[in-house]
Amino acid sequence: MNQDENELIFRCQKGDQDALKEIYDRYHDKVYRIAYGVVRHREESLDIVQEVFIKLFRSIGNFKGKSKFYTYLYRMAMNTAIDHSRKMYRVFSSSLDEEGAPQPSEMAEKGPDRILLHKELEEKVKAALDELPPDQKMAILFREVEGLSYREMAESMGCSIGTVMSRLHYGRKKIQELLRKYVKEEGRE
Amino acid sequence: MKDSCSSVSRLLEKYFDQEATSKERALVEAHLAGCPACQDALKWMGHCRDSLKVPIETALQKEDFERSWQNIRREIQIREKSSWRESIQSWLELSGLFRKKVWVPAVAVAAILVLLTTQVFFEEASFVALPDVEYVDSSYNVMVYPIERGKITVIWLFEGQEMEAPPS
Repeated sequence: MNQDENELIFRCQKGDQDALKEIYDRYHDKVYRIAYGVVRHREESLDIVQEVFIKLFRSIGNFKGKSKFYTYLYRMAMNTAIDHSRKMYRVFSSSLDEEGAPQPSEMAEKGPDRILLHKELEEKVKAALDELPPDQKMAILFREVEGLSYREMAESMGCSIGTVMSRLHYGRKKIQELLRKYVKEEGRE
Repeated sequence: MKDSCSSVSRLLEKYFDQEATSKERALVEAHLAGCPACQDALKWMGHCRDSLKVPIETALQKEDFERSWQNIRREIQIREKSSWRESIQSWLELSGLFRKKVWVPAVAVAAILVLLTTQVFFEEASFVALPDVEYVDSSYNVMVYPIERGKITVIWLFEGQEMEAPPS
C-alpha cells in the first residue's frame, strides 16, 4: 500500500467523503467486475458497487492496515455480491439479451451460428458458475476477471497459494465438465 | 490424452495463468508441441476466460459511474442525518440491562408513583385555589342570607367552650 493510499484511507476513516470519492475512482471498476462476475446483471452490479462503497465508508475504521487495502475491498465486494445473488429471486436468463448485452468483440467478425454458439457458451458459463461452491467461484472470478496473481488471490481469500490453485483447478474442471458439449463443438470447428 | 498429460495438467494451468517458472514453461511448451489434447485444453481455458471477461468489460464501458457516486454520497448523507437516532438505538440494543428488560417493573413502579404524586399535587392545588372558601373572624354572629343557604356550607370553629354559639 503506497503512502498516497494510506493518506486517503486515513482521511476516509475520519469521515472525509472526498477521500472516499478518490478511492471510488480508483476501485469502482474492479468492484464492478467482481459484482458483474457474480450476478451477471448490470443494474444489480451497480447496486452492489454502491452498497460496497457505502459499507466501506461505514466500516473503514475497522481496517487496521494489516492486509493490503485492495484485498480488504475485494473480499468485501465478493461477499456483498454473493450475499446479493443469494437474495435475488429473479432468474437472469435473458441478461445476454438486455440493453447493453455483452457482445464479445471477436463475435462481430463471425457468422450467426458462431454467435449463437458463443451466446450459448456464455449462458452455460454463467449457469456453471452458479453451480460452483463460493470458494471456487471466488477463485475463478478473481483470476479470470480481475486477473489477480495467485499470491494476491491467496491474500484476498485468506488462504495459501496451494489452496488457491486447488480451488482454481477444481472450479475449472467443473466448468469444463458442464461445458463439455460446447467445448467439443468448438473443437470440431 | 497422453499419460504425461496428467502430470502436465497442473503446470498447464500455471502456464495459462502466467505463474509458471521458466523451467516449467519450457516443459509445458515441449509437451504442447506434440499434444493436440493439451492444446485444446489450453484453447478451452482461453474461451472460458473470454466468455467470463468480455461481457463484463463491455458492460463496464456503458455504466455511468458518476451517477452511481451521487447515489452513494446521497445515501451517506441521509444516513449521517439519522445517525444520532441510530446511536441511541444501538446503545439501547447493546445495553445488557435493556436487553434483559429487568427495568420494566422498576419503570412501572416509577410511573405509578409519578401518577399518584401528580394526583395529590393537583388535589392540593385545587383545594388552595378554591375561590369560594372564605374565613370570617367574628366574635359574634355570622349572617348567611337565605338565598345563599343551598350553595354555602358553614363550618363553625370555636376556640373556647364559652364561645360556643347558643343553640338556635
